[in-house]
Amino acid sequence: MSEPIVQLSNVTKRIGNRTIIDHLTLDLHPGEVYGFLGPNGSGKTTTIRMMVGLMKLTEGQITIKGHSITNSFEKAIRQVGAIVENPEMYKYMSGYKNLIHYARMVPGITRQRIDEVVKLVGLQGRIHDKVKTYSLGMRQRLGVAQAIMHKPSLLILDEPTNGLDPVGIRELRDYLRHLAKSEGITVFVSSHLLTEMELMCDRVAIIQNGKLIDERVIHQDGPAKDAVSRYRFEVDRPAEALELLAQHSAVVTQDGIELDTDRETAAWINAQLVSAGIKVYGFRLHLKTLEEQFLEVTGGETVG
Amino acid sequence: MGNFVELVRNENMKIYSRLRTWIMMGIMLVVMLAASIVVLSIGDEVKSMWTILLNEVMAGTSLVAIFTVIVAADSVAGEFSSGTIKLLLIRPWSRSKILLSKYVSLLQFALFFLAVLFVWTYIWNGVFFGFSSGSLQELTNEQSTGSVWGYVLSGLGLQYVSMVLTTITISFLLSTVFRSGGLSIGLSLFLMFMSDTLAGLMSLIDKPWKDYFWFMQSNLTQYLNNAPDVTHDRTILFSLSVLIVYYIVFMFITWWQFTRRDITS
Repeated sequence: MSEPIVQLSNVTKRIGNRTIIDHLTLDLHPGEVYGFLGPNGSGKTTTIRMMVGLMKLTEGQITIKGHSITNSFEKAIRQVGAIVENPEMYKYMSGYKNLIHYARMVPGITRQRIDEVVKLVGLQGRIHDKVKTYSLGMRQRLGVAQAIMHKPSLLILDEPTNGLDPVGIRELRDYLRHLAKSEGITVFVSSHLLTEMELMCDRVAIIQNGKLIDERVIHQDGPAKDAVSRYRFEVDRPAEALELLAQHSAVVTQDGIELDTDRETAAWINAQLVSAGIKVYGFRLHLKTLEEQFLEVTGGETVG
Repeated sequence: MGNFVELVRNENMKIYSRLRTWIMMGIMLVVMLAASIVVLSIGDEVKSMWTILLNEVMAGTSLVAIFTVIVAADSVAGEFSSGTIKLLLIRPWSRSKILLSKYVSLLQFALFFLAVLFVWTYIWNGVFFGFSSGSLQELTNEQSTGSVWGYVLSGLGLQYVSMVLTTITISFLLSTVFRSGGLSIGLSLFLMFMSDTLAGLMSLIDKPWKDYFWFMQSNLTQYLNNAPDVTHDRTILFSLSVLIVYYIVFMFITWWQFTRRDITS
C-alpha cells in the first residue's frame, strides 16, 4: 500500500477535564474514500476541526502530505479542501463572488477554473444570484465547489449529503468516487447515513466517545469466495435441523436457522438437510449491512 | 505564499457588497446636505462656505465614527455568527494575516467615508454659499494667518488618528473577544458615547493620574493650531503617547485572542 497522505497519530483533545478525542490514530491513503462514522457527540466534528486547524490538539500530531498542521499550517492546509458542518457562505453576496473570495486566497486559481467548478457542481444557472436565495442543496453544491476549486489532495466533507435530494446524493457519490479513483484525491467523509457510506467508501472508521472502536474495509464487490459469512436456511422443522447441525453452532430464527460458514460448506449443509428429510425452502447469504455492524459495535446507541 | 492585497480586497468586497454600507453612506450624505439647506433657508448672514463646512465636517466625523464602529464590531464577530469563519480560516494564510487584512479594511473604510464627507460638504457648501478660499480668522475668531484648507484637513486628520487609536481599535477588540456582533456593537457605541461624559466627570478630579485614561486624551482636535477655547495643559505628544500605549495593549489582546482560541462556532 502507498504512503499514507494523512496521518493522525495519538490525537487527543481535552477541554477542561473532559476528554473529547482520546488517542485517535488513523492513516489515510491516496485515492481512497474514507468514511468516518459515529453517533452524535462522538467527536467526529472535533476531529475534523483539528484536521483543518480550527482547533488545537492537546496531544498527538496530524500531518498532511508530511506537513504538520500545527507547525506548518499553511503548507498543510494548502493540500486540503473542506466543508466543516454546514456550508456557510456570505449570504449577501452572489455564489460567484463567494467563489472569487476563496479563489483569491490561493494563488493560481483562474476564472476558467472557477467556471469549470461551477459547471461541475451544476450551479451555472444560479451562480450570479445571492446566496440567501439558494436552497440548502444549492449551498451544499457551492460548498463542494469552494472545497475542490484549488485541486486539493485531501477533501474533507462533514455530512456532505445533508440537504441533498436523492438525485443530488447519487451525483455527489459518483463524483466523489470519480475524484478519488481518477485524480487520486483522498476523500474523508463523515456521515450518519450509513447506507450512504456503504455505497461511497472504501474504508470506514467507527468512533464512539472519542475513541476509535473499529476500522474496516468495505468490499465493493461483496466478500471473497472462501470468506466465512452468515447463511440463513429457511426450513420447515428448525429444531430438527438444529440438532442435525449441532457441530456448526447454528441458531434458530423466525423461519429457520442461521449459522456462520463458507460457501462450500453451506452447499454441503443444504444437501445434509435435504437428505435428512427436512424441507429447505431456500438458503441465502446474509450480508450484514454497515448499519447492523455499526449498531453492533456501538452497542445500539441511537444514530442521528 | 499569496498576495496580502488580495486578502484586503476580499474584506473590502464583503464590506461594500452589503446594503448596510450604502445606507450608512446615504444617511451621511442626506444629513450633510440637509444641514446646508437649513442654514441656507434661514437666510442668516454667512461669512463664507468654510464656517458651515467646518461645523458639518466635525459633526459628520461623529457619524463616520458610529458607522465605523458598526462595521468594525461586526468585522470578526459577523464571521463567527454566520459560521463563515470556518471556511475563511482553512486557507493557506495565518490567522494573524487574516486579522490584519480585516483591520486594514476598517482603516480604509473610515478614511473613505471621511474623504467622501469632506468632498460632499465642500461641493454643496460651495454651491450654496459660493466657493471661496476663506480666511482662517473667521474660523478661529483670532487674529491668525494660515491656510483654511490646512486647518480643516488637519482637523480631519486628527479626528482620524484619534478614531484609529481608540474607537476602531476598541470595537475591533470587542468584536474579537466576544464573537457576537450585537454585543460588540452595543458595547462599542456605549463606550464611545460614555467616553465624553466620563472625560467630563474625570476632569473635575484634581489628581494627576486622571490624565492616563484613554478617553481623557482621545480628543486630539483640542491641539489644533489656534483652536478656540484652548484649555489643555498637556502637549499633543503626551496625548499621543498615552493613546499609543493603550493602542498596543488593545491590539495585543485582539491578536492574542484571535490566534489562540479554538473555533467552535
